[in-house]
Amino acid sequence: MVFLLRRLCFYLAAFIAAATINFFLPRLLPGDPIQIMFSSAGSTLSPENLEALKLTFGFVDAPLWQQYLTYLASIFTGDLGLSIKYFPLSVNEVLGRALVWTVGLMGTATLISFTLGTMLGIVAAWRRGSKFDVIFSVSAIVATSVPAMVTSLVALYFFGFTLGWFPTGYAAAPALDPAFSFEYISSVIYHAILPIITLSIVLTGGFVVTMRNNMINLLGEDYITMGRAKGLSDRTVMFWYAARNALLPTVSGLAIAIGTVLGGSLVTEVVFNYPGLGNTLYHAILARDYPVIQGQLLIMTLAMLTANFIVDVSYVLLDPRLRRA
Amino acid sequence: MKNVILGLLRNKKALTGLLILAIIIVAAIAAPLLTGFDPARRVGLPHQPPNADHWLGTTRIGQDVFSRLIYGARTSLAVGFGAGFIITAVGTIMGIAAGYKGGKVDEAISFLTNMVLVVPNLPLLLVLASFIGQASPVVIAIILGGTSWAWGARVTRAETLSIKQKDFVKAAEMLGEPGWRIMAAEIFPNLVSIVGINFIGSVVFAVITEATLEFLGLGDPQAVSWGVMLYSAQNASALQVGAWWDILTPCFALVFLGTGLSLLNFAIDEVANPRLRTGNSLARWVGRVRAGEGSL
Repeated sequence: MVFLLRRLCFYLAAFIAAATINFFLPRLLPGDPIQIMFSSAGSTLSPENLEALKLTFGFVDAPLWQQYLTYLASIFTGDLGLSIKYFPLSVNEVLGRALVWTVGLMGTATLISFTLGTMLGIVAAWRRGSKFDVIFSVSAIVATSVPAMVTSLVALYFFGFTLGWFPTGYAAAPALDPAFSFEYISSVIYHAILPIITLSIVLTGGFVVTMRNNMINLLGEDYITMGRAKGLSDRTVMFWYAARNALLPTVSGLAIAIGTVLGGSLVTEVVFNYPGLGNTLYHAILARDYPVIQGQLLIMTLAMLTANFIVDVSYVLLDPRLRRA
Repeated sequence: MKNVILGLLRNKKALTGLLILAIIIVAAIAAPLLTGFDPARRVGLPHQPPNADHWLGTTRIGQDVFSRLIYGARTSLAVGFGAGFIITAVGTIMGIAAGYKGGKVDEAISFLTNMVLVVPNLPLLLVLASFIGQASPVVIAIILGGTSWAWGARVTRAETLSIKQKDFVKAAEMLGEPGWRIMAAEIFPNLVSIVGINFIGSVVFAVITEATLEFLGLGDPQAVSWGVMLYSAQNASALQVGAWWDILTPCFALVFLGTGLSLLNFAIDEVANPRLRTGNSLARWVGRVRAGEGSL
């Protein structure tokens, strides 16, 4: 309990740190921070709305510490201000709309790459040094060193433009209205296939290497030898003795991966023009829509911290030693 | 150290990696000899496919893709190695200081490290870069260096903690060697493989992230680099109009460099830690790259 409480305090501190960076950054840069942040707002926002937005970001006529408290108060009440580009929508509404698409995309891709990567990692570790191991470990390492946009662009070029197998943008056929119909849903699935495949390729490498590494460390343990000595089949030892234990750290890695999900598909979404969080962030950057950009940073931080906290809780559940500490 | 180098020269993966790296470095240095075209200027008709004059075609505004490729390698290498150096130096110093000094110093550094680790890197970079406006490659390298050292610090600290218990460190302490000397001359040499892997991982991370930031339009569009090439090709709808040479060239370059560096890293791992040949520090490598890149 004490352990979890301490972690909780730490995450709170980390969140405040991220919010503080958000607060001080525009004020530290040369020039007028209000000018920097809201220069693009002049044409879209009415003066009252601009005032409200300034209040959200703590631009009040008061000493710096009061500005800071005003800002923190609006953050902790969940008020992230108004979007400049998508006015009159609030940042929360803009991000909420995009969230659904990103969660669907990244959720599926994470699931696929986790399953595939873990299986490949198990087999590679079991047959370490074999051709299978060399091919898959090296390509896994290479896959982690290639930027996501390269994978996305190449996939889009070949399968979208050259072969014409998949659509080259949007989450569904633009002519269709969102509805719970077979036509709409199948269009959504059809549009999601290529981005999901691309993301899975990007993500799988990391899972292969983590799982292979965990497995190899365990394969030298006595209970593995014991399992073999009992005459169990390779398959049983591989999956029920080694992989089962090696999976624990990977599962916590999965939680972290889910934490990065929100930002995870940024580049892929931009390339495929997919209306998720990443694409929203991209357009916010192009339009210098600072309220949305900052809201995104805070939401991603929150997701990351929540995922970390879930890992901590799962450790407490899995490792009795932490319960006493 | 000598063994490591000898071992690397006998390792196929290392040789392939070094060869790839050498090709890129030579092309970058010899760029003016390899092409007569100015990478930043209009030197031909727009969007011409590869031909005898323009080996890799031209961009939409008529720049020579080949000359942009090899001049761009200069930027990617400089940012990669520059930021990689900053990241590794800060991480290593922080890690050794925290691990060796312990106590208050350790608490402070570890708190800071953990803090930087849980705040997602990419959105932070995006916010920083968007406030700065069009960030030049130098600015990007500095931002990357300042925000990405935490992972290396954590790994180095853990390793330092175990080396600190070794007899030769105790002996040096009894001889009355000053703390900085023990850290620099006794502990650091034993961290070479970790620092090396951290360095190469950081270089890959920096190359990827620089290209990503520029691709997203946060870089200086006048700069000649692979990320800017991707950005302008994407803006020129190169894929839609079928100008594959415009967009696939920087893609290929990034894959080539990434492959070279990862092979080299794979090999350092195999040679420097025969016991870990089975892959312990590969996870570190992925951690290093993933620490920031995982959120791309």
